[in-house]
Amino acid sequence: MLAFFTQHNFLFDPLALFFLAVIGIVSLPSAVYSFSYLKGEYSAGKTRLASCLMVAFIAAMALVVSVSNVLVFLVCWEIMSLVSYFLVVFDTKHEKSIQAGMIYIIMTHVGTAFLIAAFMLMYTHAHSFDFLSIKNACLTMPAQTKNIVFVLLLAGFGTKAGIVPLHIWLPYAHPQAPSHISSLMSGVMIKTAVYGLLRFVLWTLGVQAFWWGPVVLVLATITCLVGIIYALMERDIKRLLAYSSVENIGIILLGVGLSMFFLYLNKPYLAVFALIAGLFHLINHAVFKGLLFLCAGSVYKATGTRDMEKLGGLIRTMPRTAVYFLVGAMAISALPPFNGFVSEWMTLQAFFLGALNVTAGVKLFLGICAALLALTGGLAAACFVKAFGITFLAQPRSRYAKEAKEVPLPMRLGMFFLALLTLVCSLGAVKIIRILAAVAGVACGIDTGGMSFSFNAFILQPQLGQRVYLSAPLLAMALALFGLAGFIVYTVAGKGKAVSYRTWDCGYYKLDARNEYTATAFSKPFRISFSFFLLPYRRTQKIWESFYHVKSFTYETHTTPVFRKYIYDPLLKLIFKSAVTMRRIQPGSIHLYLGYIFVTLLLLIVFMGQF
Amino acid sequence: MRELILFGIIAATYLMVIAKRVPALIRSFRYQSFFLFLITLAAAIEEGHADLYWVALLILILKVLFVPYAMYRIARRINVDENLGLLVNSQLSLLIALALTYCSRIFSRTLGFHQDFRAVAITVAFAVVFIGAFLMVSRMKAFTQVTGLLVMENGIFLFGSFLSGGMPFLVEIAISLDVLISVIIMGLFVYRINKVFTHIDVNKLSRLRG
Repeated sequence: MLAFFTQHNFLFDPLALFFLAVIGIVSLPSAVYSFSYLKGEYSAGKTRLASCLMVAFIAAMALVVSVSNVLVFLVCWEIMSLVSYFLVVFDTKHEKSIQAGMIYIIMTHVGTAFLIAAFMLMYTHAHSFDFLSIKNACLTMPAQTKNIVFVLLLAGFGTKAGIVPLHIWLPYAHPQAPSHISSLMSGVMIKTAVYGLLRFVLWTLGVQAFWWGPVVLVLATITCLVGIIYALMERDIKRLLAYSSVENIGIILLGVGLSMFFLYLNKPYLAVFALIAGLFHLINHAVFKGLLFLCAGSVYKATGTRDMEKLGGLIRTMPRTAVYFLVGAMAISALPPFNGFVSEWMTLQAFFLGALNVTAGVKLFLGICAALLALTGGLAAACFVKAFGITFLAQPRSRYAKEAKEVPLPMRLGMFFLALLTLVCSLGAVKIIRILAAVAGVACGIDTGGMSFSFNAFILQPQLGQRVYLSAPLLAMALALFGLAGFIVYTVAGKGKAVSYRTWDCGYYKLDARNEYTATAFSKPFRISFSFFLLPYRRTQKIWESFYHVKSFTYETHTTPVFRKYIYDPLLKLIFKSAVTMRRIQPGSIHLYLGYIFVTLLLLIVFMGQF
Repeated sequence: MRELILFGIIAATYLMVIAKRVPALIRSFRYQSFFLFLITLAAAIEEGHADLYWVALLILILKVLFVPYAMYRIARRINVDENLGLLVNSQLSLLIALALTYCSRIFSRTLGFHQDFRAVAITVAFAVVFIGAFLMVSRMKAFTQVTGLLVMENGIFLFGSFLSGGMPFLVEIAISLDVLISVIIMGLFVYRINKVFTHIDVNKLSRLRG
């Protein structure tokens, strides 16, 4: 064990350190949060087990991003997957957990299988498991092999990251774990897949073919859109957040894909800038998604439900959680002055700068990607208006929501820390981007010493001479000033004005929770406009007492889970069918089984003769 | 001299292949083990290792005396008819055994043994392992599965002792103990199977599958 730590099994370059930092800043508040989150939720022994598993999980993630040996990497990767599996099925009260865990463990192992295949291919060329020797060996690797390795890596890490259509496990597994673990899984674990892509595709392989970048870009764009559309349809608050993670991974991968694209086109400045945008969004997403999951966990802890249709009015009973959630929601909707705005702005800028620097067809492609990213941003804002509005505003829709109480201090501390970070990441963007430039430079293998992305300590300026500026602190100040001005105007001019109403009041005087807008109703326009993809259908059932009187009427509306129905269900059917066929070799005769062993023995010896 | 003993081993193995009844099978196994004892003794005399004498003694006590005796006892206690229930009749079995012996010759050649005494020894060892496996596959009674395993173990012992000049004494003892215990356990199993199902016909256990 000691030998493992003393030998050269670690590689602490800026890329690894960056990911370690991300793990650190999300793990700390989650751990603090878990103190009171777990209290009262489980028995004492189980609470202890949860803490142990959480520590093991964090340690595994930290190891994944810092080891320098492919074999050790795989082992850590598997430990991370397995520990998180145990955390997903931790809540054994619900049958859903077991099902979610099942989907998760199958998908994660499929992903790992792809990774093993890719690493084996690398090994056959490098004859070593060490990162550096593999990196050197990749210089002489044939193009065809590189393409295969790239596809395998993309599929393997894509499964963990939740790239559509491999995202299927994510909305099941992430919400099912205890909330601080959800925040770790969504905030950090899926980012280790991005680390894998950066480390093994950009750093080790190097972009070799034109199509690598566009493939990632197309997948990322689809991931963004699909993720946010599904998130809009969701009424379970944690699943909504999980789908939104799918979307954000898409945005991060847009940066990565763009960077790969520019690397192939030999535009180092743009490549580094695009990767900085991706990395910055990565750290931002880790912060605000961690925050949002912690808030959702607080809501769950206080009310015992995750169904938004049963919540509402929590801003009065849980004001602090509401504020933190609002901060997170604004950040994730890319509203200034929070951090999501800066990184999405940078990603868009990377697209625009790229479009200015390439020729015809590619220009169009980048333009379309940028447009779809903008659409994603808009949908995300709608989604979080819904998430915040339905959960925290209006009147409580159920007894649980009415009786909710503000969560205890350690939970609030965890949320506060992350909420503060969303602001810090935005205001300190220039500083952070300088650090990220070094990280991106290492990942791309480019010297970033001569590159500058900022005008001074406050103002971002992506490219000299393009007259594109952004200053988050100034923006924040302007917003604060406008807000203050508005407030003053309101207090001076708005007060004292007579407001009189209520005679009949348009029937508004007796509103209760049943008159409220629901989550499903809110998302209806989107359900209609994306009906080509969501394929909504409704089911009605009327029970007639007589011809004139309907005794009961039920109305359900659903959307078709496209990926499950058209990709995974047929696949599962095929697997089960072949399993039934395979079962014929198991007739129950011991002699036949012994015969199998015997024949295998003979064949193995024959094979041995071949080598 | 040692070649002669090897031929004794292979002949005893062929006897097991054509045996149709339980006592014949056990008797042949005893012959085989006895020849194994002889060859170990010959090696011991030639090399003069004290360890090898002990191994030889162990074989004599365990495999020649105790195991066959225990098997006889089980056979008598469960008191079923003595037919082994051949899935492949004895003539065909013998032909297959000969073919397996030929295969072993080829394998020993691929391993790099061409002419000398060791080539013969390795061939015989392989053949004994294969035929043991074949016995397990092609006989119905649970009894034969136990015997087949023991035969395979004999073959592996032979292989080990000629390929590497004998295994370390401790390993040898451990393996012998394993064999002993496996005989006892399987004896119990066969006894239990017989008690529950009133037969030890493995063929009829197929309803136990999942």
